[in-house]
Amino acid sequence: MSAPPIVSPFSLLDGAIAVLSLVATLWIGLRVKRYIGTIEDYLVANRGMGLYVGAASLLSTEVGIITYMYQAQFGFVAGFSAFVTGLITLGVCLLVGRTGFVITRLREMQILTVPEYFETRYGRSVRVLAGVLMAFGGSLNLGIFPIIEARFLAIVTGIPSRYLGFTMAGLLLVALAYTALGGMVSLIVTNYVQYVFLAAGTVIVTLACLRHVGWSGMVGAVEGHLGGRGMNPIADLGLGFILWQVLLWIALMTVWQSVAMRTFSTKDAAVGKKMFTLTGFLFLGRALIPMVWGISALAFFWGRAEPVTAPVAETKLAQMEQLDARLGETFRRDLDEGRIGRALPQVDLLERLAGEEKQRIAAAGAGDDDAARRSGAAERFEDRAKDRRGEIGLLAMPWMLAAILPTGILGLVVAGMLAASISTYAGYFLGWSSIIAQDIVAPLLSSRGASFELSSRARLRLTRLTVLGLTVFIMIWSLVYDLPGPAYFYLQVTANLFMAPTLIAVVGGLYWRRASAAGATLAFVLGALTSLAYLVPSLKVDVATAGNLSWALAVAGFVVGSLLVPRKRHEPAPPLALANPEARS
Amino acid sequence: MSWALVWLVAFAVAFGAFTLISLVIAVRGVDEIRELFAALEEERRRKASRPE
Repeated sequence: MSAPPIVSPFSLLDGAIAVLSLVATLWIGLRVKRYIGTIEDYLVANRGMGLYVGAASLLSTEVGIITYMYQAQFGFVAGFSAFVTGLITLGVCLLVGRTGFVITRLREMQILTVPEYFETRYGRSVRVLAGVLMAFGGSLNLGIFPIIEARFLAIVTGIPSRYLGFTMAGLLLVALAYTALGGMVSLIVTNYVQYVFLAAGTVIVTLACLRHVGWSGMVGAVEGHLGGRGMNPIADLGLGFILWQVLLWIALMTVWQSVAMRTFSTKDAAVGKKMFTLTGFLFLGRALIPMVWGISALAFFWGRAEPVTAPVAETKLAQMEQLDARLGETFRRDLDEGRIGRALPQVDLLERLAGEEKQRIAAAGAGDDDAARRSGAAERFEDRAKDRRGEIGLLAMPWMLAAILPTGILGLVVAGMLAASISTYAGYFLGWSSIIAQDIVAPLLSSRGASFELSSRARLRLTRLTVLGLTVFIMIWSLVYDLPGPAYFYLQVTANLFMAPTLIAVVGGLYWRRASAAGATLAFVLGALTSLAYLVPSLKVDVATAGNLSWALAVAGFVVGSLLVPRKRHEPAPPLALANPEARS
Repeated sequence: MSWALVWLVAFAVAFGAFTLISLVIAVRGVDEIRELFAALEEERRRKASRPE
């Protein structure tokens, strides 16, 4: 007999708590609109942000339902090995906080966006190119948020999946309203309130996981159900992946627009440095805590697993075909109804059978056509099983929450998650729209002559319009795009698309006098193309290979381009004079 | 030291630090918001009193 579907106990009381928290946040966000006068007020809160509010704002922006979902998914599929990315984040934050690497210089320049620096250092064309790639990669990155987050909300609140589109639209509209009107001041204030909600929700869920599953239950699940993986990150993820993560996190913590905007909004560079040290530990929690939720879900659903036996057939290949066909009929419905305990053992069995068959063919050493055909088929079944495991990993955590959290508490957690999510949308809307308005449209218009120079008010209007355009784009992208693998990898690669060349061009510009516009342009083109290769599923490029190659080619392009086409006389002054405020005066 | 112990320590630090720092932010953040509003209000008044 099979287990009944999970039904969320989300009640009217839970709904009232969640709606009240949303209304309160929206009200606060709209009230601060009166403080917005100039583009500086709007984008960087007139550079008046303090340490604690800054830390809350930074974390609220970088933690949304999407963060909880992809980190939990990573924990579900990779076990404790996934923790290594959290430790890398902590190390990078502490390094940036102690040394002020890149952030101190950028803060002292009083710029509004990172590409603005490129114009002063390399010229307008590099600023526009960087702006285009950032806007493109950032929008792709943001583009999968709504659909994944709406699935979370649908599961924990019990909203039927046919209303997913409306759930997405509702989320986006609330974020749009106060971002478009209030800008960074609104964000800083609402982020603070949202941070309190999200921190409370995070603590509640973690305590519930520890109570229901326990640490030893999690360790047991990882050791027993991940096929010998899940503990050693070097063996499981590889040194290449770890190296790429180190490089990417250095870039994310220094030149990722929504993070950089918090740096630009601080009172001074010293507050910026302290903010990074403080948020380092919060970022560690941002990674490890939801990963533990994912591992808890793994243990929780293996505890509810229904026994499964391999289909009776003459060959392994025939067994896999039958099992795959059975999954084809039941998998989607099982996921939609929370019957993870039925889907997971079948997917696990398919992956195991495929792995055994591949090993057997390799051990036999036969190189004929039949062996190649069987090996290819086994690999296909293994890939399908891995994809399905990933899908289960994404939804297992919300289904577990729906099963273990009682009425009342569920409302508090949903309020925390909504707060987290809306602050992320708002932060990213502001980040990417400021790039589009400030670094693409405004420079292109002003290059056509003085009459096209945009006033502060016009830029403000343009940024608000861009926020609206972005909302429409991500709504559509969310509905049409299919992820090529785990959400964590997609998000990292779309960020890597412009992060690798951006950091290289910023560091090169600040610390290497010979750096030229040609080098920066080549770095952006090569770095972006390599990352894009991962997003095309037919190319089958491994995520770590795409990531590392992108960095290597961006560095090579930057150095070769700068040496072959040196800085021209009319290109802006050498970097150190620009970067150092004493030198400027 | 086994991997299981390493991850237990890492999680304890992450969860403990997250809870503690969040409490500090919740308490100290209120004053900072007040300061930010005061500064923005001051700036607004200054701009309003400045002749065009």
